Amino acid sequence: MHKVWAVIRREFVERVRTKWFWVSAILGPVLFAGIIVFQIVQSLGGAVRNVAVVDSTTGGLGARVVEALNASNAFRASLAPAGLRVVDSLKDLVEAKQLNGLLIVTNDLVETGRAEYQASNLGMQTIEALQRTLGRLVVKARLEQKGVNPAVVDWAQIRIALEQKKITHGRTVSENATQSFLTAYFMAILLFMAILLYGVNVMSSVLEEKTTRIIEVLASSVRPFQLMLGKIFGAGAVSFFQFFIWAVSARVLLSLRGPIARALGANPADAQTMSLPHIPAATLAVFIAFFLGGFLLYSAMFAAVGAMSSNEQEARQAQQPVTILLMISYLSILGLTNDPGSTFARTLSLVPFTTPIATPVRWTAGSMPMWELVASLVILAIAIVGVTWVAARIYRVGILMTGKRPNLKELMRWVRA
Amino acid sequence: MSEPVVVDRVTKQFAGHTAVDELSLSVSAGIIYGLLGPNGAGKTTTLRMIMDIYEPDSGSIRLFDQVGGGRTHSARIGYLPEERGLYPRMRVLDVLVFLAEAKGVSRRVARVKALEWLERLGLSDWRLRKVSDLSKGMQQKVQFISTILHDPDLVILDEPFSGLDPVNSQVLRDTVVDYRRHGKTVLFSTHIMEHAEKLCDRLCIIARGKKLIDGTLAEVKRTHGGKHVIVAFDGGQGNAQQIFKDQRLVAKIQDFGQQAELELAPGADAQEILKALVNSGARLARFELASPSLHKIFVDLVGPEAATAAAIGARAENGGPNA
Repeated sequence: MHKVWAVIRREFVERVRTKWFWVSAILGPVLFAGIIVFQIVQSLGGAVRNVAVVDSTTGGLGARVVEALNASNAFRASLAPAGLRVVDSLKDLVEAKQLNGLLIVTNDLVETGRAEYQASNLGMQTIEALQRTLGRLVVKARLEQKGVNPAVVDWAQIRIALEQKKITHGRTVSENATQSFLTAYFMAILLFMAILLYGVNVMSSVLEEKTTRIIEVLASSVRPFQLMLGKIFGAGAVSFFQFFIWAVSARVLLSLRGPIARALGANPADAQTMSLPHIPAATLAVFIAFFLGGFLLYSAMFAAVGAMSSNEQEARQAQQPVTILLMISYLSILGLTNDPGSTFARTLSLVPFTTPIATPVRWTAGSMPMWELVASLVILAIAIVGVTWVAARIYRVGILMTGKRPNLKELMRWVRA
Repeated sequence: MSEPVVVDRVTKQFAGHTAVDELSLSVSAGIIYGLLGPNGAGKTTTLRMIMDIYEPDSGSIRLFDQVGGGRTHSARIGYLPEERGLYPRMRVLDVLVFLAEAKGVSRRVARVKALEWLERLGLSDWRLRKVSDLSKGMQQKVQFISTILHDPDLVILDEPFSGLDPVNSQVLRDTVVDYRRHGKTVLFSTHIMEHAEKLCDRLCIIARGKKLIDGTLAEVKRTHGGKHVIVAFDGGQGNAQQIFKDQRLVAKIQDFGQQAELELAPGADAQEILKALVNSGARLARFELASPSLHKIFVDLVGPEAATAAAIGARAENGGPNA
């Protein structure tokens, strides 16, 4: 076992020493920091906006609009009487950033529900808030015209707070639909990328030993199977190390949200309440188990591909069937996340080559009975043993072969030999 | 005496053609053993089978008087394959330590030994550089260190001199000789007879996967040499060509123009040839009784017109000429 350790360590150390490892190790946290900053800036977008209300109504509706806007906390509104030059001079103020925008209200507002908002920046949140505020005001004004008591109108208008909760595996979790969709989607992409990336790493490492001919010295001291296992576990350890770096930096960045928010001029308290998907420990465990399984399954195949090729070009061609197997899961991600309980999704999670991605997605989306999860795991485990056995036989013969790439018939002979 | 390598009637076939055919050889401890043969004779295949890289189709291999091939005993064997290779992107020291670990040496010991050897071959300053930064000659040295770093009892070198520059060639020769002095065993293959002649205690010549002859250098020369005469001319050759064709005197000849190597016919006397040459008016610079060079024996044995031992034997009996 000492020899296998030596192979694992070499694989790990040499990979971690490469530029690319650190580029992606740093890129992850940078991306994450970017998401945090983006969210904070977005929350800034919801801050108080200076709005001038140009009142060209005949009934003094403008004053009521100003009052309603100011009451909403999202706006600091001021009244501007309508006039020939008023709009132009207000536009100059917007241009000079002294004003966020101007709202022009006419009698149309109450009669047909029309109004005009001009601003340099038409943010979604601002528009929604304006529409909401104006809507309530117009409903109230129109009801008043029909003689309804304003107090009754006020009493009648309440805001609905729809609390969204998700039922996962018999427990109710506070999480909304978008979040669980995103979590599942993100997980699937991550699984696909990681399996492909680190699987290809195994392949190129096998190929390197073949093309440099160092394999002959190795094969005379280490059993080919030990060598293949060492490579796979070495590359696997690198991927876990990569994930570990990402997880730790994500954790650190999360705890720094307050200071970041303050630095950006936002309210730190807002940043703390920023929504993050809730990932239960069980989901994390499923993710890790299926990543491990998928990685073992695919990297064994990639090792065999590397062993049967003599150069990069050949390997690129020979890896295609393996990549396509993985692509099937990738292309099904949307279908899986949209309807994780469908027959299609259930089938994918029971096929060994698609289960590493399909099952975690279904589990996260929350529509997978326990027995199906266990069945997927068992099928995956059996497939790993079978595929590794075949791959090891191809590897054993292939690493010492040079020249023409074997055809399917020759491969079968290698496996049977 | 113990025998570090015993190959017993081993056969290996590849896609229909027989690379090694019922080959047997044994290497006793503390000697330098040469496995000689033309390209494609099966030398590399034989060494690879000894090293457990190929499995023989039939026959058996015993190392250090125990069952099991090279992989089982990898801690005691240093192997330099014909096609050299190191990890180009790894640091020199790391490569050496890893390759030693793969043979079962502990990391700590491997490190110490690697540094020792790098120092000895003048590569200390390069220990933290990438292999690809080294010149070809330096890479050869590193490869060589990796072969013997774990202080093996048996060193197996496949065409060790091919591609070596003169300096490294000398380093290798010195180390091989030094190895034998310390009671270790060296088995190497080559198709260059000069190397074999200088180094080997025992040798085995193979062609087309079959053994043609083996024994000590002296034995091989005795059995397959006959008496040889080297003749060098100084100007006129007189009637020399006529005399060389006399089958009663000369069995075989290798004519180099101004010099020729003659193998005397059985029962012929070298003095008669000398007399005949002088009488014919040839001017001689040299007339020397010699034992045949290994090169000559090798060409005789494996040359196109004498590819198998059987054919050689038949011709020797007939005393047929070699025109």
